Amino acid sequence: MVINVLVVDDSSVMRTMIIKTMKMSGLPVGTIHQAANGKEGLELLRQNWIDLVIADINMPVMNGEEMIDEILAHPETRDVSIIVISTEGSDTRIERLQHKGAAFVHKPFTPENIRDMVIKIMDLGNSDENDTD
Amino acid sequence: MKMTQIENILWHVAEDVLGKLAFMFSYPDDSTGDEEETGEEPVLSYVSFKGPFEGSLLMLVSPMILPELAGNMLGLDDDEKASEEEQFDALKELINVICGNLLPKIAGKQAIFKVGVPEVCKKDANPLADTLAKISLMIEDEKCELGLYVPGRVPPELADLLKNGE
Repeated sequence: MVINVLVVDDSSVMRTMIIKTMKMSGLPVGTIHQAANGKEGLELLRQNWIDLVIADINMPVMNGEEMIDEILAHPETRDVSIIVISTEGSDTRIERLQHKGAAFVHKPFTPENIRDMVIKIMDLGNSDENDTD
Repeated sequence: MKMTQIENILWHVAEDVLGKLAFMFSYPDDSTGDEEETGEEPVLSYVSFKGPFEGSLLMLVSPMILPELAGNMLGLDDDEKASEEEQFDALKELINVICGNLLPKIAGKQAIFKVGVPEVCKKDANPLADTLAKISLMIEDEKCELGLYVPGRVPPELADLLKNGE
């Protein structure tokens, strides 16, 4: 099984950091798509088979929380795994996202933070088993 | 250098984010400010926020550190150089992360802020003149100043933090 990923962040530098982290994680990563806001992200999600969405919250056009609400509102996308990677520091807002089923990784993050969260929410088992060349 | 509590928090957040996000070490700038200008005009980046109180976080930084900042964040090899757009994008992300980490530390973890889109622009005459808190640090021997601007009356959440800290 490979994991097709959608990275949604308005910062091209942050998208590059996340994509590099995913490629170096040792996880079975397939195609990685990227979008600069929630609206673009939804379009890619509807056009492609995606297993994991990694999204920021504060973005122009459509923010990450609005995008998650749209993902959950549609049966064909509601089962996708979602990780929010954000500077968000409000417990209130983080709990609200977690109630929607999204996992949360705080910026600044380490590569291990993302890798471990992917393993946890996608139920990939022991991390040692995922070390691949 | 005598800092208020809020400046002390800003310093620790900036140091932590610079280290973790860009792998760059920083230390307090103890210069008097009377040194000769290097000729390189600093780059101003800022991000605004709204919530229990509103304001902006501003950062003035030497352009000399931008290639290394962007290169570290992007994981570029030594022989690769980030474009100007990538350098500015890296700076925007840096101030965005500093701001996002600063706000819950000064306003509490229950407070909800809407953080705007970071911007990079030409330096105003003195953009940090009216800031509530200001720190000066050195990143890889280049100067960087950070200022928190909150217009109007000091919000009650911040009043105590304006006392002297460490």
